[in-house]
Amino acid sequence: MLKVLDSAVPVACWSCSVAHNDATLFCPHCSKIQPPPGGDYFSVFGIVPRLDIDLGELEHEFHKLSRKLHPDRFARAKENEKQWSLADTALLNDAYRTLKDPIHRTAYLLKLNGAEIGEEHSGKDRKDPSRVPADLLEEVFDLNMQLEEMRMARKMGEADLELQTSLEKAKRKFDGLLDDVDQDLRAQWQAWDAGDTAKRAAAQKTMVSLLDRRRYLSNLVRDVTETLGA
Amino acid sequence: MAYSDKVIDHYNNPRNVGQLDKASTEVGTGLVGAPECGDVMRLQIRVNPETQVIEEAKFKTFGCGSAIASSSLATEWIKGRTVEDALAIKNTDIVKELSLPPVKIHCSVLAEDAIRAAIGDWKKKNGVAEPATATAAAAH
Repeated sequence: MLKVLDSAVPVACWSCSVAHNDATLFCPHCSKIQPPPGGDYFSVFGIVPRLDIDLGELEHEFHKLSRKLHPDRFARAKENEKQWSLADTALLNDAYRTLKDPIHRTAYLLKLNGAEIGEEHSGKDRKDPSRVPADLLEEVFDLNMQLEEMRMARKMGEADLELQTSLEKAKRKFDGLLDDVDQDLRAQWQAWDAGDTAKRAAAQKTMVSLLDRRRYLSNLVRDVTETLGA
Repeated sequence: MAYSDKVIDHYNNPRNVGQLDKASTEVGTGLVGAPECGDVMRLQIRVNPETQVIEEAKFKTFGCGSAIASSSLATEWIKGRTVEDALAIKNTDIVKELSLPPVKIHCSVLAEDAIRAAIGDWKKKNGVAEPATATAAAAH
């Protein structure tokens, strides 16, 4: 459902035929429900695509639209309106889940703006191999060694308390590093939102590498949590 | 997606897993990681100071089957080669040998990076200047 920003094109309402912009869930003229719109997640809520959004406003709009789309309200509507109420609700939920989370929202908006994030761009376009800093790599490697030891010990039915303590300590540390990354991301929001082309490009580049680092750390924290919880 | 037989073979019987003495001047260590998937790869070489031949190569990789197979194959290929010869190994050679699908190409890139990092570390330790051609190739 990724689309280019400002993709809203006018379409005619199926019921009253008055043209409206295709991002809306309800016709502004006759208030009838519309099929799932083709715009981006921000336009579902009628908000400007930004990284620093008003979460209160987002939640308020979400509840308002959820009530308006509730399938119970379409019990006696036409068959296609019933189906649209379900499809629009699904879209609304996806949009809300993505936008309310600061990390998901950042990744989503940067992708809308043409950034390549995640596995799909690995392999090609690797002009800066090993973007993980060397000091972090050492720690990641050591942590993986400990995790392997821990799993082996578990398999043999031994509980290594020392190892467990050390892993718990590592998990706290990496959780802290994740928080740092999140703060660094937030610090870039303003520069991106301001809209100056050069500054936006610089902020976007910084955030793409922060998101890479974040994925690395969160995979690691997930592995540690799984091993500790096993 | 199915792994090729060669990947499965390397995954089940990885060659040259282990560790060399990091402190030795004859040993070069390369540690690389892919932020996309969380893989981390350590590749080490022991170089004969007289002949510049890589006499021993060891690796330890945490990652998917393709990452393990790529690094296992890399150690097999560089053993017995001179340092300069080993630098000629390209990730595309690994892709071909293991029939890696496009989504796993980054595993082979990581293995190539690891070879270069290990050789770079050995050169730094031994005061060998990086020839201009090798640096240009490393930038690919």
